[in-house]
Parts: sequence; C-alpha cells; structure tokens
Amino acid sequence: MVVRVLLKVALLGLFDALAVYWCVLFLWDGNWTFLAVTAGGTLLLNWLVLSSRSYPLRYLFPGLFFLSLMVVYPAGYTFYISFTNYSTGHILSKDEAIGLILQRTYSPTPSVSFQFWAFGEEGKLYGLVLRGEEDTYFLLPDGQLSSLKGHELTDHDGDGVPDELDGHPRLTRRELFQNIERLQTLRVPYGEGWLRMATLTEFRLYLPQYRYNPGKDILVDRKTGKIYRPVEGKFVADDGAGIDPGWVTFVGLRNYIRFFFDPRYHKAFGRVFLWTVEFAVLTVGLSFALGLALAILLNDRKLRLRKLYRSLLIVPYAIPAFISILIWRGFFNTHVGLFNQALQNWLGTKVPWLTDPFWARFSVVFTNVWLTYPYMMLISLGALQSIPGELYEAAAIDGAGPWQRFTRVTLPLLMISLAPMLIGSFAYTFNNFTLIWLLTGGDPVVAIGERAGATDILLSYAYKLAFQGARGNEMGMASALAVNIFLIVALVSGISFARTRMLEEVSRGM
Amino acid sequence: MACRRKVGFWTRRFVRNLLAWVAIAFALFPAVFVLGTSFNPANNLSTTRVIPRNPSLANYFELLFRQPFPTWLWNSVKVAGISSFLSVSLCALGAYAFSRFRFSGRRVGLLTLLLVQMFPQALGMVAIFLLLKRIGTYMPWLGLNTHPGLILVYLGGALGFNTWLMKGYFDTIPRSLEESAMVDGATPFQAFRWIILPLARPILAVIFVIQFITLYSEYLLASILLKGEKMYTLAVGMRIFIGEHYRDRWGIFAAGAVIGALVVLVIFYALQSQIISGLTGGAVKE
Repeated sequence: MVVRVLLKVALLGLFDALAVYWCVLFLWDGNWTFLAVTAGGTLLLNWLVLSSRSYPLRYLFPGLFFLSLMVVYPAGYTFYISFTNYSTGHILSKDEAIGLILQRTYSPTPSVSFQFWAFGEEGKLYGLVLRGEEDTYFLLPDGQLSSLKGHELTDHDGDGVPDELDGHPRLTRRELFQNIERLQTLRVPYGEGWLRMATLTEFRLYLPQYRYNPGKDILVDRKTGKIYRPVEGKFVADDGAGIDPGWVTFVGLRNYIRFFFDPRYHKAFGRVFLWTVEFAVLTVGLSFALGLALAILLNDRKLRLRKLYRSLLIVPYAIPAFISILIWRGFFNTHVGLFNQALQNWLGTKVPWLTDPFWARFSVVFTNVWLTYPYMMLISLGALQSIPGELYEAAAIDGAGPWQRFTRVTLPLLMISLAPMLIGSFAYTFNNFTLIWLLTGGDPVVAIGERAGATDILLSYAYKLAFQGARGNEMGMASALAVNIFLIVALVSGISFARTRMLEEVSRGM
Repeated sequence: MACRRKVGFWTRRFVRNLLAWVAIAFALFPAVFVLGTSFNPANNLSTTRVIPRNPSLANYFELLFRQPFPTWLWNSVKVAGISSFLSVSLCALGAYAFSRFRFSGRRVGLLTLLLVQMFPQALGMVAIFLLLKRIGTYMPWLGLNTHPGLILVYLGGALGFNTWLMKGYFDTIPRSLEESAMVDGATPFQAFRWIILPLARPILAVIFVIQFITLYSEYLLASILLKGEKMYTLAVGMRIFIGEHYRDRWGIFAAGAVIGALVVLVIFYALQSQIISGLTGGAVKE
C-alpha cells in the first residue's frame, strides 16, 4: 500500500516536472493556447489523482482528454478560423509579418558597390579586401568589417589586382567557389543597411526597403516613398498595391457572406449544396428500398439457404470501402473500363460514366447504393423479426391483402424503429468524402476556373478549398463551409430526432 | 385445387431463390471479377474474362516485391491496430465509470458523447492539420507526417457511440461479482481489471474490430496528414498508385485489392454475427 502511494506520488511529480518544463517553453514562445491547455490539464490531473471526490472522473479522463484535444478543440478552432482570413499569404501573426517585411532590402541607385578579393590558403579563408570608390576595408570571414590599417596588401605584378594580404595568397576562382555558400550568407552592417555579396567580384550596399511606424501603423517604402496602410490583414498602398506576406485577422462574417453573395462562391455553393442533399436522399432512399426488399425476401423461414444468402449479400459491406470504390472507378473508366468494353462489344456504344455530369452523378449514386444496401438490409432484417406475427394474422382476418399488410403494418412499424438509423445514415452520406474523392474526385469540371465539380459534395468542396486550391489554401473559407455543414446536419438530425422522439428512448436506456 | 396450390408454391419458391441469386450476382461480381483479374498476367483492363486464360502469380510478385504496397499495408495495420487497441482501452475505462459509478454530470456526459458525434472529425480537418503542425514544432515525432500524430488524431474518436455499446454490455454483468471481490479487499480498479474485463471480452473484441475496420479505411485525415510514399496508409497509397493508371496498372492493383480486402474480410466473417449486431445497433459503417 505504501509502495503504491509512493509510486503514485513519484509518477505525478515526474509528470508535473515535465509539464512545468513545457509551460516554460510555451511561455518563452508566447504560445498562450498551448500554455493554457498544458497548465489547465496538469492542474486537473493533479486534482484527479489527489482528490478522492474525483474518483469516477479518473476513468473518464483519458478518453475525455483525447476527445477534447482532437474533437472538441478542433471544432472550436474551426469555428474561430471561419471568422478569419486564414489562407495562403495570411498565415502569420501581424508582428511576424512585419518582421519579415522589415528584412526586405533594396539596392539604392546609384548603387554603392565594392570590388572584393579573397585571401587565404586552399580551404581556409583568411580575409577579404573590399575596395570602394573612396574607402578600402578588411573583412573577416565571420562578417567583421574593419579598416585596412595594420594589414599589408601587396601587388607583385602591378596590374592593380592585389596578390597577397598579410602573406596569404589571393584565392583563385575555383577556390573562391568552394567558399561561396559562406560568403553568400554574410550580411555586413554598413551605414543604414548591409553589405552583401552581389556578384563574384562585388559586394553591394543594400538598405532596408520599408520603415514601420508603430504609432500610425503604416509602412513607408523608402525606395519609392509610397505609404502602405493595413487593410484586412495586409499592407496596401493607395494605388492598391499590396505587400506579401499578410497576416491572420478577424474578418467577421465575411467568409459566410461570401458563400451567399460573392459570385465566385455562391453559385458553386448553391449547386454543391443541392447536389449533396440530392446525393444523400437518393442514396438513403434507394439503398433502403433495395435493402428492405432483400430483407423481406430473406425473412421467409421457408427459404432454406437464407443464412448463406445473407452472408453473400453483405460482401459489399465487408470489403473496405476504399478498395471497392477504386474497383468501381476502374469499371466506370471511359476507355478501358469493363462497362464500356461490354457496351462496345454488344451495342457498339460507350457511356461517359465519369466524365459527363449526369452520368458521373449516376455512377456516384449507383456505387453508393451498392456499398450501402447491405447495411439497410441488415437493419431491416432485425426490425422485421421484431414485428409480432399476430399483427399480420389480425390484418389478414380483417381482409388486408399482402400489399396492404406491407404498407399499413410493416412499413409504419419499421419506420419507428429504423428512423434514427436512417437519419444517421443520411448524416453519414452527407459527408461521405471517401466515396466522392476516390470515385470521381468531384469531377467532371463544370466550368473553367471553377473548383467545385459536378459531383463535389460540401465536404469535398471544403477539402479542395483548404488543401487543393488553385488560388492557394483558403482555410478560412473551408472552415466557414465546415461550420455550415455542421449546422445543416445538426438541423436536419435535430428536427428528425425530435419527431421520432429518439432521445427519449435513449434517456430511458440510461 | 391442391395441385394448383402446389405449383404456386414451387413457382414462388423458384422465383424467390432466383431473385436472391440475381442480387448475389450483383453483390459479388466486382469481387469475383477483381479476383480473376489479379491472376491475369495481361495487366490491363481490356480483358472482360472473369477466369484468365493462363493464370499466374505475376501480379502478386510485382506487387509484393517491386511496389511500396507492403509498406502501405503495414502502415495501415500498424496505425489502425494501435489506435484501435488504445481506443478500446479508453472506451472500456469510460464505459465502466458510466456503468458503475453514480456521479453528477453522468447523464449529461452520456448525452454529450452522442451529440459530439454530430461533429465528425473530418469537419475539423483544417484545425486538426494546423494543430498537428504546431505540435510538430515542439515534438516533431508527434507532428505532421508521422504515424504517432495520426494515431493521436484517431484517439479523439475513442469515446462516442462505442462507449454506449460497451456500457450497455457492462450493465448486463451482475454487480454481485465485483461486490464480493471488493469485500475481499479489491479496489474498484482491480475489480474492473480482473473481473469485468475478462467477462467483457466479446464486446471488447467486437469494438476493437469495428474500430479497426473503420480506421483501416479512413482516407480524409490520413491524406492530409501524411506526405511521402513511405508514410502512406493503404487507402492513401492505393488511390495514388491507381490514380490515372487504370490502363497499365489494373492487374497489379487487383492483386493489391485482393490482399487489402482479405485482411478485413477474414476478421469480418470470423466475427460476423457479433460485428453485425454491433454495427447495426446504430453505428454506421465508415
């Protein structure tokens, strides 16, 4: 018992020490989010281990930790990004962006340049001599500049090119090349700017191009005198010219508004949204119809091989989806696919399965019905078996035919127990990125320059905006789209669940 | 009359079996066709024969010894295996707390777990990408393009519907077993570890397998987090491998599809009935 307590305290102490180390590191970097999370998490962990009141939470903590880190936090962060302009060219903080911009230099005209020669033995650089219009300097390989006084420069042949410095011979061109990487990185402070190697024979003066005025929050271009002011996360001049990089800044609801009013997005958004709903409704509807039909077929006890049939019919469910989708993509291939080969042989015609908008949508729904009907069949079978036989007997006595028995008894009862699963299936299909991405990649293209293709669903459109953009990565827009998807799915599920009173049943189960 | 009835019975029976076999043909033909193709040395899509003329293992040799396929398969099995194992552990711990302890926030917690599922991880892809990028600046082994990083992301799904499933199972295990152990001086954790877990082995296996199959097929997050041929999981690698190469890589791809699918098919059919009852209890196959 004592050993156990000691062990517990020792481990906790070790963890706390580590946490403090990380916290200092985060504090140093000014990474407040990570600091808060680590500090908060560590305090919570200490409370969990040391307080007896927290006992049940100890079991939940590990799972909740990962849930918070990888589901809840990303959800909140997505929400946050959706209100920013986070995108290519806008990924730094303002200070970082200004820091980068202030490092930009330009060479003033007329240029101030120095001819240079390097001296030393092979592989070992001794020093450089820089000769300008007026002054001549001595430069150490580590970038220290000093006057040439005290150094002896000799020109044996009198051609104006010095041959020796303090007894060290001048490097040949080849030897100079060996040191070039080192020389190129030199930034020697000189006057208001820096001297840098410009060519193999010349160092040149570069001046910082921009000056930042923190009081007025403006950047001044010293070369042209232009004034740049911050506009939506970027320094922009009056004539519209901007300086990259920009920075991340709040843009309010702009990303959301764009999806409804900006012609570059709202057409695509509307079209993709309608297709996503269509796709989800068609898939769930058709696969449920097929699955239910097969379930009714298999539900007959007189069918001898029904166990075997069931096992074979769920094969599409047992094959990993990404594999079967890629196989279907091969079958649908316009030139070498199985279907077009067969059509060509029998009818002498071809169908553009994946390259024509209509047929591509057809193929997507067809493939998804193939993938989904086994699930529908299995849940229908379960539900069918739970319907008491007396109901059918009673209906038959009342004179109901087979069709009436199906529509008046079977279907209503099935819908009660299956509605939650159909809603779940709808929500899942609504975001079935893998199917779309592996089968068509969202293609075919509907218009030049339009990223959302004919079969893109909202989630694959968001993926394209975030990671595959022709205009760079539009993380802010993609996040706003993700929030929209969440709201749509939440709304649809919420309404349906309220209608089916599924949550009440769930509560009873607790 | 009796005779007509009998004819009707036989016709109906015939029609039912016929319909079943038509449906089975629809279900199986892609698999059967790909299986045939994988043994066809011709290596292209333009043969419509199911059984190749001169079958050979050429495609399998090419796949296993000249392509990065084994690496991808191993990556997938490794990532999905480790994530699933850890997920099941976390899930069991959580489910035990929900099943055996009474504490404030228990009902809310259970409902929250269901509601959080409404925000699929895929929707947070941008945030997850940026989060891992930042984690990577402090711990490169846990950042972008690492398998531990991907596993970390997958662990976010450990608590969720599966916790409900497991809690339901734990509820059916009589408490008297643990109570008697605790009378003998066992702590609740010892009771959990040595009494509940062994008894709950079936549900642990089922949830492990469901999780494994789900993660084995996960594409979106793996595709944004992993870069470089050596790091790909099977789903990401195979999509790039076949990409626009249906004309010249079909045979090798078919061999890969057979091996890649067998990994899951074997587990699935070995535990068929338990997995189905788990999956159709409300979870949807990913």
